[in-house]
Amino acid sequence: MKENHQFSDDPQISTLLRQARPAPELPPRFQQQVWGRIEEAEAPASSGSWLDGLANLLLRPSFALTAAAIMLVAGVLAGTLDGRQAARHDAQMNYLASVEPPAVR
Amino acid sequence: MNRSLVILIGALALGGAIFAGSYFTARQATVACCTRPADDLSWLRTEFHVSEADLARIRELHEGYRPKCAELCAKIAAKQSELNSALGGGTNSTAEVGVKLDELAALRAQCQAQMLQHFTAVSQAMPPDQGRRYLAEMQRLTLGHHGQFEHSMSDEAGHEHHH
Repeated sequence: MKENHQFSDDPQISTLLRQARPAPELPPRFQQQVWGRIEEAEAPASSGSWLDGLANLLLRPSFALTAAAIMLVAGVLAGTLDGRQAARHDAQMNYLASVEPPAVR
Repeated sequence: MNRSLVILIGALALGGAIFAGSYFTARQATVACCTRPADDLSWLRTEFHVSEADLARIRELHEGYRPKCAELCAKIAAKQSELNSALGGGTNSTAEVGVKLDELAALRAQCQAQMLQHFTAVSQAMPPDQGRRYLAEMQRLTLGHHGQFEHSMSDEAGHEHHH
């Protein structure tokens, strides 16, 4: 054992050993693939499916508030337009009832 | 159930509730604000942009027309009940029913003629363009549905002949 330690400390032997070790052929674009995998692993935990992405978006307070505000404004606009139509129709029927007796309908 | 799906369904339900709530509130408020049930002529004011002066003239015509219309309506109602009595009399009253039908039709025609006369008078109290539009609209609303009914009946009869 003592002799072995003596050999491993010897730089000449270490160099010889390193040179004697066969260097395997790397596959093409090996380095690029390694970096790709590292980037993928370091990317923020994206859930993978569009549904999870959408759920994450909906849980963002700024997005949720904006969406709620849009729904509110759209509802008020649609309700106002429809209410005006209904009021117009009611007024028309009111006038019609006052000039056209039901007996001639 | 999948958490994301629950969030999505919850968000859709909440969005729908916000939309529906604001829609119905705004609709009710608009109808309550824009409808004046006490005034029969409010439609003319808004639809045909009638000025206050023209509206006063139209109101005068309207108030003058209403009693005449009510009088004819009462005659039509009386004739209708006479017709009902004749119809209830049995099968031998065909001639009497025919007479009552003719009289009823004559009264209805008189009522319609009076109504058209009133529409013409009202249209003349408006600016010319609006008056023409009013007259066309009133003819469509009052006489149009009779035409539609007759048209549908004649179509049906034509169909029967083809078969």
